[in-house]
Amino acid sequence: MAEAYLTQSPRTAWRVYDGEAVILCPDSSTLNTLNAVGTLIWESADGKTPASAIVARICEEFDVDPERARRDIADFIAKLSARGLLTVSETIRQAP
Amino acid sequence: MAELSIGIAGLRAAVVTQDPKVARVVRDRFKGFDSSGPADWRIEISLPPGSLPSSGDVVVKRDGVPARFSVNRHDFTGTVDVGERTADVMLTQAHDVSEEVSIESFWRILYSLALVEAHGLVVHAASLVRDGRAYLFSGRSGSGKTTVARLSTDATLLSDELSIVRMTKGSAVCFGTPFRGELALAGEDRAAPLVGMYFLRHGDRHAVQALGPGQALARLLPNVLFFAREADVTAAVFRIAADLVETVPCFDLSFRPDPGFWEVIVNG
Repeated sequence: MAEAYLTQSPRTAWRVYDGEAVILCPDSSTLNTLNAVGTLIWESADGKTPASAIVARICEEFDVDPERARRDIADFIAKLSARGLLTVSETIRQAP
Repeated sequence: MAELSIGIAGLRAAVVTQDPKVARVVRDRFKGFDSSGPADWRIEISLPPGSLPSSGDVVVKRDGVPARFSVNRHDFTGTVDVGERTADVMLTQAHDVSEEVSIESFWRILYSLALVEAHGLVVHAASLVRDGRAYLFSGRSGSGKTTVARLSTDATLLSDELSIVRMTKGSAVCFGTPFRGELALAGEDRAAPLVGMYFLRHGDRHAVQALGPGQALARLLPNVLFFAREADVTAAVFRIAADLVETVPCFDLSFRPDPGFWEVIVNG
C-alpha cells in the first residue's frame, strides 16, 4: 500500500490551546476544534511526515492499537479534506 | 469642496466631499471625533444625482489587486484600498436609508478592513471605562450591550454597539467610537487598557465564569465585524482575535438588569 503524506492547507489559521487545535476553516469562516488525537495528526501534517509515522506516534502516545489508529487517521483525513483544511498525496511535498 | 479630519482609534482620515450635505452629515455624525495632524487615510464621499443600480446585502470582495476591496450595499458602492490607504464611496440614494446611516455603515466596513493592518478589530460590543480601565461586553443584538451601558452610570461610555480594540506591544487597548446603538449616544474619543472581555447572556443572577482562550476565541469571532471572505484576510483577523484572547482575561457574564453585575466583575 502506498504511503500517504498529509499537508495542512496554507489558507488556514490555527492555534493550540490546552492540547486542542482550533482551526479556522477558510471558506466558511467556521472554527474546528480538534481533540488531542486530531491535534497530534494536524501538527504532524507537514507534507513530509508519512501517515505510517503518525499512526505510530498515536499508538505510542495514546496507547491504542495500530488498527484503531489507522481508522482514526482515515476518519480525520476524510473530514478535514472535505472542509478544505488538509490535502493528501502519495509523495513528499516539496518546499515551495 | 470640503475637507474634514476625523480620527477614530488612532487612525486619522481626511474626508473629502463636493457635497455640502455630506459634509454636514459627516460633521454631525462624527462629532467629538474631529482631529488634527497628518491623515493616515483619505476618504472621498460623493452623492451623485439620481439613484444608481446597486446590490442588496453588504458584499466586500477583493477588487483586482490584493490590497483593494470593493464594498457594496444597496445604498452605497465604493472601494477601500488598504495599501494606498484610500477609500471612495458613492451614496446611491436608496429611498429607505438616510445618508447618515449609509455613511456610518460604510465607515464601519472601512474600519474593519483598515484595522487589520493596525492589528485591531471592530467588535459587536459595548465598552466602558472605569477607574482608567476598559471593559468590553460582547454579544449579538438583544444580548444586553445597551442595557449594560445604560446601567453603568459611573463609567465612561466608549460605545454601546461597536467597539474597537487594538493590540499594541503585547497589550490590548480599547477605543471609543462614534458608532452608536440603541442608546443613541456616541462614545467618548478616548482609549484605555482593556482588562476584561465579557460575553453577555441574560440570567436571573449575576455570575462570571472564566473562559480559556479556545472558548473565548469561539465566543469572540462571531462578534467580530468583518465582511471580506478571502482566506488571507480572514486568517489575519483570526490571528488578531487569538492574540487578544491570549492577552485579555475573558469571561461569560450572566446578568440581570441592575448595576450589581459590576460587583461580580470587580470581585471576580
